[in-house]
Amino acid sequence: METFINPKSLFHLLLLPCLLLYSSIAYNSSPVEAAMHTNNWAVLVCTSRFWFNYRHMANTLSLYRTVKRLGIPDERIILMLADDMACNTRNKYPAQVFNNENHRLNLYGDNVEVDYRGYEVTVENFLRVLTGRHETAVPRSKRLLSDEGSHILLYMTGHGGDEFLKFQDSEELQSHDLADAVKQMKEKHRFKELLIMVDTCQAATLFNQLQSPGVLAIGSSMKGENSYSHHLDSDVGVSVVDRFTYYTLAFFERLNIYDNASLSSLFSSYNPSLLMSTAYYRKDLYKRRLEEVPVTNFFGSVMETIHTDAAYKALSRRNSGRFEDEMSLDQSVHHIKRRMLIKVNDGDEIHDINPEGEEGASKCPWSTFRKKFQKAENVDSLLNYGLVAMIPLLVISTWLVQ
Amino acid sequence: MAETKEKSLSDEKPKPRVRPIVRLGIFLISHSFLVSVVCCTAGVLALFLLPVLAKNTYISENALMPGSASPMLSNQHVSDGNRLVKDLTNPNSKSSETGIESHKIIAQYMLDLGAEVSFHKFHPQMNQFHPLHFFSSPVSGKIQENYSCSSYGINTVGIIRAPRGDGKEAIVLVTPYNALKSGFGEALSLGIAYSVFSLLTQVTWLAKDIIWLVADSQYGEYAAVAAWLREYQTPKFSSLSTPNAEMCPDVNNLFELKGHSISGSKFSNSFRRAGTMAAALVLKVRDQNEQFEDTISIYAEASNGQMPNLDLINVVNYLAVHRQGLRVNVEKLWPLLNSSWLKSLGEIFESLAKVAKSLYPKWKFGIPATEYVEGTATLASSLYYQALGVPTGPHGAFRDYQVDAITLEISPKFSLDKVWRNDILLRGGRLIEGVIRSVNNLLEKFHQSFFLYLLTSPSKFVSVGVYMIAFALLIAPLPMVAASLYVDANSSSNCSKGDSSTPSAITDTDEHGIAIRSWRWLNSAKLVFIVHLWGAIVSLLPYFISQIPDCSPTTSFMIWVLLSILSLLTLNSVLASPLACAKATQEKEWALVKSVTISSVFIGLGLMSVINFATAEIGALLMVPMCLLARPLKLDVRAGTLRSFCRLICNLVLGHIAFPPAAFFLLKGMLDGFGNANVGDFWMWVESLWAWNSATYLFIGMVQLPCWVLCVSILFHTC
Repeated sequence: METFINPKSLFHLLLLPCLLLYSSIAYNSSPVEAAMHTNNWAVLVCTSRFWFNYRHMANTLSLYRTVKRLGIPDERIILMLADDMACNTRNKYPAQVFNNENHRLNLYGDNVEVDYRGYEVTVENFLRVLTGRHETAVPRSKRLLSDEGSHILLYMTGHGGDEFLKFQDSEELQSHDLADAVKQMKEKHRFKELLIMVDTCQAATLFNQLQSPGVLAIGSSMKGENSYSHHLDSDVGVSVVDRFTYYTLAFFERLNIYDNASLSSLFSSYNPSLLMSTAYYRKDLYKRRLEEVPVTNFFGSVMETIHTDAAYKALSRRNSGRFEDEMSLDQSVHHIKRRMLIKVNDGDEIHDINPEGEEGASKCPWSTFRKKFQKAENVDSLLNYGLVAMIPLLVISTWLVQ
Repeated sequence: MAETKEKSLSDEKPKPRVRPIVRLGIFLISHSFLVSVVCCTAGVLALFLLPVLAKNTYISENALMPGSASPMLSNQHVSDGNRLVKDLTNPNSKSSETGIESHKIIAQYMLDLGAEVSFHKFHPQMNQFHPLHFFSSPVSGKIQENYSCSSYGINTVGIIRAPRGDGKEAIVLVTPYNALKSGFGEALSLGIAYSVFSLLTQVTWLAKDIIWLVADSQYGEYAAVAAWLREYQTPKFSSLSTPNAEMCPDVNNLFELKGHSISGSKFSNSFRRAGTMAAALVLKVRDQNEQFEDTISIYAEASNGQMPNLDLINVVNYLAVHRQGLRVNVEKLWPLLNSSWLKSLGEIFESLAKVAKSLYPKWKFGIPATEYVEGTATLASSLYYQALGVPTGPHGAFRDYQVDAITLEISPKFSLDKVWRNDILLRGGRLIEGVIRSVNNLLEKFHQSFFLYLLTSPSKFVSVGVYMIAFALLIAPLPMVAASLYVDANSSSNCSKGDSSTPSAITDTDEHGIAIRSWRWLNSAKLVFIVHLWGAIVSLLPYFISQIPDCSPTTSFMIWVLLSILSLLTLNSVLASPLACAKATQEKEWALVKSVTISSVFIGLGLMSVINFATAEIGALLMVPMCLLARPLKLDVRAGTLRSFCRLICNLVLGHIAFPPAAFFLLKGMLDGFGNANVGDFWMWVESLWAWNSATYLFIGMVQLPCWVLCVSILFHTC
């Protein structure tokens, strides 16, 4: 019990009832849908190993390049590659990966940040990334730090079957697992909208169990269909890209960050005779009309801009958001208090995006508490500075005495 | 009173709840004649149906991806290869007596490419019969004493290390080469290998090391490869005192020369190794050929009918046919191709398939009659070579170390102009390059495809699941007939002793008699055991006979036959003397002997089918009819009906055919013609069997021969 009697935890205990009160008010007054699209994330996963699955890595890297070109920064892309084709001894072009036999574009050039590589790409790690339940030692760069204003693109490629996707030749991700992870993300307000894009055999079956609102899913093939590779690079000696991804890339090559192409134009661009499979998309969980959603909402980092009169509202929100992140890191230290603290943060998060009227009222006690809290933390350093300041005094006094 | 009556009634009429499987067994045993006729016919028919049931081969391992990369072998490499061929066929290089000059040339060429080169000296080991080392692998750390400097061979080995590989795996390319009397074909095969080798020193995609072994074939191709493999897999840590090839001046001379001329290069005197072998290819070019197009023959059978993984054959076949436009051959039994009965059988199958297709369009199993005949000829040769248990080429040495290997023999349409030579170098080289690149993609050992199969054409195979049916049908009647014979022998003697009394009223003494009678089969079992013991002795005799110096095969064979008969008589007089009196007393004795014989044959065939299926299948074809039909000739003569006469004839014919030497000569006569048959041939054949540690030898000695003796003894039974 002694560990609990430190100023911080005492402070939290005091804080709790007031915050619960505020949060209940917040829940009543503002619906969750009020969140705005504020940021974009991409999770790109290649799940298969081995040289003959070169094309899966090329698929993923091509998409990585595309979303980067359209404006999602590297720190908001989680790239998972199950094998390293670039350094495979069978690769005729060491340290290079191509997705076309013309070899015009090296996908594995500079600035490729692979977050999870090789045997790190497991079902467990994948689910941890989605749900955000990491061990404490996992660095921020490997986490999906999205919030309820995030649009997330989840792209997966590999070998799949009826309601499963194979990971690493030894594990499987089942459609139930994916649906459960998405549900958890929804509960934890980790996304606003989620686009799942899957390029495997029988990809459509992977979406069967999805229930969470705000999820849009597209797969390369229906149940009972295979997804085929697009062409073989006879120089490298393997197939270098899958059909579905090839035509997706072909669509995006024509676009730049300012284009207004809609998701429906992307989805209708898939020609079953060229794909040799039927691209399937599931939109019953998705509210907006696909014709009105620009593809850059997911594949780029383009979001609606809202003109406001005062510049500081948006700023204050960002500040509080950052503070919330710090808090969440602190949480993991106090294991016993974790659950309670999460509640506290949730409340905090929600009241932060309250309409203006309540915001001012709620902010006052919070900031005063925070100042006090910072003072309490500074006591130690103050003491230290004081001691250091004593030394010259001591020196001077002894010198004077002499 | 009423209760007791009921009780006695229920005692008299017990209602035994016999389980269905037992009832089925009893039913089959009671109708054993019909069952055995049906099963045997079905078994033979199923064997002839195998070419129809054969499936197309397919590449099972995803990682192989044959032909996905375009060949990189260019005319530059071909001209390199051509240069080597010219140098080797140059008369100057052949001046040396030991052929060391040509080894030097090859080594120099390898060194120029930047490969690691070493020489491997070996003494040819004579194949000797080691009765106790039968199934042991040819690992032998022992060094023979009688080395002489006059007889040794030199293998030249070049190794390319994969530039970015981990050095754990290797692919082996073997070209047999006899420096003393090399034909143009051998030089050409070296040229092909060299052009591939020169390409592989430049490429960046190697994941496995490449070993090129130029095997000195003056003591036989197999011996050279086997010696090198033995050294590679089981390093010898012999003391310095043992006589070694290095002490021979000639070899020392060779190394000194080498060391002098190319100091500081990658040449090494010690034995060089790379990683574990993923696959091995033996490349040969046939000297003369009458074919109209370039063909390539695949030899795959290793010792005891072991086959390399089917994927390896598939890769070669796919690349040769679809990429290089070569025709692929596998061995056929040529005499079968012209047999009219096979053709008519094929036509019957074809018309049957047509009828079936007209009845139900989805039934498509027919193949044209000509294709059927070819398939049968290939299948028969596949069965024959697997049954022999003798490897069909140097690739057999690899299989002993569980390395998948095949021999490729290119037979070009022969002409001497340079364009043709370049063409065959290019195509052969590209084929080898493709196979190596494909195997290079492999991540694990070959394991996806079949190991147990029979080929009916280079692109068609019968897997174990299908061909086992034919064998199972063939031997299925054996246990049933054995059981029914046993039951018959017991019940008939009961009846004869019980006189007029009904069998239901059995007294205590009768029960005692039954107890004795039910153990009567032990007598027969003893006889069978003695004959099998004799079989084991007969199988050991050649070891002693081969010790006799200066013995021609014919005399050896005669000695063997004499000793065998002698040992049979001795064994019979020593061990089986009580049997003779027992025989006199029991009139149905022959039935029991037959029953136990059939059981032992069933066990023997079952065991053999696990070790070498093909031997078991051929053995079953010979022995099952003989065992099932065997019946004392006297009984048949006495009966005098047409049926018994037919049976008598059949018995006599089968009794002759199933005798192992007779079967051998019959087969040889059918294949080569009866003109040059010689008694000594059988001895030579048997000698080759035991020299190759073939399990077929054991099967003949310990299953087939005793079975034949027992059947003959039944035929001449006095009853």
